[in-house]
Amino acid sequence: MLELSAQDWQAIQLTLKLCLYTTVILLLIATPLAWWLAQSQGKWRTAIQALVALPLVLPPTVLGFYLLLLLGPHGAVGGTLERLGMQHLAFSFTGILIGSVIYSLPFAVQPLLESFRRMGQRPLEVAASLGANKLDQLFSVVLPLCRGGFIVAATLTFAHTLGEFGVILMLGGSIPGETQVLSVLIYDHTEAMNYSQAHQLSLGLLIAAFVVLFIVYGLNRRFERGTA
Amino acid sequence: MTVPGTQHLNNQATTSSWWQRLSWTSSAKPNTQTRRTAPASKEPKALTVALQLQRGAFRLQLNDSLPLQGVTALFGRSGCGKTTLLRAIAGLDRHPNATVAFGEHNWQQGRHFVLVHQRRIGMVFQESSLLPHLSVQQNLLYGFNRLGKDCERRLVPEQVIALLELEPLLHQQPEQLSGGQRQRIALGRALLRQPQLLLLDEPLASLDQQSRNDILPYLQRIASQSGIPMILVSHQLDDVVKLADQLVLMQDGCIHSQGPLQQQLLQPELAASGALSLLHAKSLGSKDHLLQLRIGQQQLQLPAPKHSQPSYRLRIQARDVALSSKPITDSSVSNQLQVRITGFHPAPHPAETLVQLQLEGQPLQALLTQQSVQRLGLQIGQLVYAQVKAVALD
Repeated sequence: MLELSAQDWQAIQLTLKLCLYTTVILLLIATPLAWWLAQSQGKWRTAIQALVALPLVLPPTVLGFYLLLLLGPHGAVGGTLERLGMQHLAFSFTGILIGSVIYSLPFAVQPLLESFRRMGQRPLEVAASLGANKLDQLFSVVLPLCRGGFIVAATLTFAHTLGEFGVILMLGGSIPGETQVLSVLIYDHTEAMNYSQAHQLSLGLLIAAFVVLFIVYGLNRRFERGTA
Repeated sequence: MTVPGTQHLNNQATTSSWWQRLSWTSSAKPNTQTRRTAPASKEPKALTVALQLQRGAFRLQLNDSLPLQGVTALFGRSGCGKTTLLRAIAGLDRHPNATVAFGEHNWQQGRHFVLVHQRRIGMVFQESSLLPHLSVQQNLLYGFNRLGKDCERRLVPEQVIALLELEPLLHQQPEQLSGGQRQRIALGRALLRQPQLLLLDEPLASLDQQSRNDILPYLQRIASQSGIPMILVSHQLDDVVKLADQLVLMQDGCIHSQGPLQQQLLQPELAASGALSLLHAKSLGSKDHLLQLRIGQQQLQLPAPKHSQPSYRLRIQARDVALSSKPITDSSVSNQLQVRITGFHPAPHPAETLVQLQLEGQPLQALLTQQSVQRLGLQIGQLVYAQVKAVALD
């Protein structure tokens, strides 16, 4: 019954690659950002928090549009790259990767911020009074105590990137092997009236998304009980 | 007015309960009993703190030097700035323009700031602060495992485990322990950091009375045996008088007064929560289950505790001291001491007076009604007889 074409397989592969890269990069960016948000009380905090949450409310097309301008051949980033003898980033994998990172930022920051707040300052003060420096505190206290937050952040980012469509279509178009991810391919199949192929991929994506979320909520419950 | 006999019994019950406890648990090591045999102490190190801060209506203003030897209690009402001061000493909070120095270590001055993990302090927090993801044993060794290679290890885990009797707790998870047991682990963990200064932030405040009584003897042992100066933040005078050698009285963000506990107990500010006196006495041994104690040229006797010490601290509530102008012979009160009146202080209740007395060079207080003072015609400089109805031993 399952008859996936080479194009379908390529899209699946590309989607998984995009999700994986986005997740890894976002964890590296979101951890210090969430940490700073949990600690700081200054006036900048509110502004940064609003900025981080922006992708939650903006239509993906708006985000994609501005990224297209920015990363395209005439944009500040894309133009500079061109002048340096490199390629601009519109309609490229790197481009949609940048888009995904920005688009999924709140999904990584929020769970981390939550778990940092739940942990509080005390465990860190204890560790510091016992001779642990900042890096030591990160590995011996923060990571184990906020493990649940990291797992939820990673899974949500992965799942959210899986369902990304608007930003990619605006910024990347639909280039097989480069920017044609599953959601875009399903759109293409539907446009071309290939309903059975669209159906196969859609159903697969639906099941995958459910499984991922099921795991997240399961872990969330377990860690809430474990660290309470 | 309490019936003298029952008062005596009550006090005796509480004192003997922890004595018994010590005797059950530490029978293998009778030497751990010797309390107040001052550890081979060097010159007391001074802690210098200059700190100013304004937080809403609260203002903290300090510029003091505290000689630290034995246990120094930071005592005062909640919100007087005790914990703020302790956190500044530890380096947990960095206040601009503050100065903190301990002995030859300059911890904070101008832009110079030594981070918490580089100050050799041991800290015990108010509530349970065991790291929940680590076992009890891992918690205990957290600081010890992070000591520098060239750091002198004066206390090894075996010693601390024996001192605080932690052996049965080691293989449990923190959440299985009672509040008192957790604080004991936290105390052991702080000691294994080989601190030069031990900071205790209301370590007993979150515990019930039973757990408090359980942990106090351990704190007393640490104070007498480790030789590490301790700062104890507390708003419970009961705990302070059992542990402290020095008392720093804080009021409204300032240090009101500081000095040896015995002298500080005469401060009228402390009388509000029940005036009491502290006497140092030497033991002459026991006879017929009665402990004979000597203060200067005078003697008194008390039911003997299970374990003997060369010297004791006696806590005497001012309301348990009666005065007479002549020695009384036909009374059940057996402890009668000759004292000299040195002054009269107002008592919290308008009908009462706190009579200040001198016993062989040590201060003693008696709480009498104004009427009694007038009836007996008591005057400063007069020699009178103090009948002591109840004594608690430390």
